[in-house]
Amino acid sequence: MEDKNSTPYLIDVDHISKSFEDLHVLKDVTLKIKPKEVVVIIGPSGSGKSTLLRCMNGLETPTSGTVYFDGIALNSEDNLNKVRTEVGMVFQRFNLFPHMTVIKNIMLAPMKVRKVSKEEAYARGMKLLEKVGLKDKANAMPSQLSGGQQQRVAIARALAMKPKALLFDEPTSALDPEMVHDVLDIMKEVAMEGMTMVVVTHEMGFAKEVGTRVLFVDHGTILEEGTPEEVFDHTREERTKNFLSKVLK
Amino acid sequence: MDFELIEQSLPYLIQGALITIEITLMAVGIGFFIGLFAGIARICRIKALRIIATIYADCIRGTPLLVQIFLIYFALPMLIHTQINPFVAAVTACAINSGAYVSEIFRAGIQAIDQGQFEAGRSLGLSWWQTMYYIILPQAFHNILPPLGNEFITMLKDSSLVSVIGFEELTRRGQLIIAQTYASFEIWMTVAALYLIMTLAIAKFVSFMEHK
Repeated sequence: MEDKNSTPYLIDVDHISKSFEDLHVLKDVTLKIKPKEVVVIIGPSGSGKSTLLRCMNGLETPTSGTVYFDGIALNSEDNLNKVRTEVGMVFQRFNLFPHMTVIKNIMLAPMKVRKVSKEEAYARGMKLLEKVGLKDKANAMPSQLSGGQQQRVAIARALAMKPKALLFDEPTSALDPEMVHDVLDIMKEVAMEGMTMVVVTHEMGFAKEVGTRVLFVDHGTILEEGTPEEVFDHTREERTKNFLSKVLK
Repeated sequence: MDFELIEQSLPYLIQGALITIEITLMAVGIGFFIGLFAGIARICRIKALRIIATIYADCIRGTPLLVQIFLIYFALPMLIHTQINPFVAAVTACAINSGAYVSEIFRAGIQAIDQGQFEAGRSLGLSWWQTMYYIILPQAFHNILPPLGNEFITMLKDSSLVSVIGFEELTRRGQLIIAQTYASFEIWMTVAALYLIMTLAIAKFVSFMEHK
């Protein structure tokens, strides 16, 4: 039996492996994340970093090992539903609901999952839109927004559930360069407010500035981890150095 | 060409056409709900439901509607020892038939929705059903409308098959007039024209809805 309050960790990835047929995407990964940490996961594409992130809210099921969130094991449909109300996720391709206005995108989950009243969900949604600088777009359809604006709405949508942690899966990779900044600024603001965050990204500036911990993932394992200074300025592993020399140009 | 005969027969045939529309509406209407649930069942996580829905769709789509009508009107009463009236038999057979095709339309329509939509819904804590209901189905309906219109047109034409059990829709009424007047050419041309008017009107309506 898991004692809910015995762990100081919010996210506890316990020896997970994941394979698709013969492809071993994750190999015995263990990762413990405390509240208010901002963990940035970097690494080459195909290294398993997105899969690792997606295991944290059960979008992928590990082949072996268990992920615990706030002491709850992600091993049953019931637990998954419980945990997903506490963990927000922001996707590379935004995944806004195209048939709903911006404000309805944000109001849906609080109303249907948290059973918040319409008025309350609306008020909170507008406040979040103001925070991400898009109050005037409340009644726009997602298709009328730029990529950067859509991603900011997606962040507001995730925040509307008042999650204990937010997962970001390459949130700026699908954006035009001039929009990356706006999205990173909001992520930074959310981090400053004390949100626990796990961010898979190629934005090394963000990792250095906002990250409390940086993980370099390669070939399905966490090859190197430490503070941003340790990983970027005193790199230990040859493969990390090699990767950083390519992306930091 | 006996225009007078056509004119005299027209009210009787138009009434038959209305019955054709009625039976088609009922068949596709019921078929829509059968198809909705069977379509969802075909992609859900419960294996038994998936198997049952797949068997249903395969069996119905793999046998002729005419045989299905015979099965329900002639064979089923032998099993349950009760006569079934032609209208009930006709609607039942057509609805079960339509449901199988509609389930395929729903399955394809749902699977055409970006997987990311499903993940976004689940990540927000919505259940599988809530995600299906609030996020996937409303988007799928848009994709589904054109093939659903086609299914309606197909069923409208195929409903002529229920004439064989004596149900008096458009085709059966044509047969009945010809039995008395022997005016095959005039009556079949009129019947064909009435079907054509109905199918063209539906096609126009569907394309109008699509562009809305």
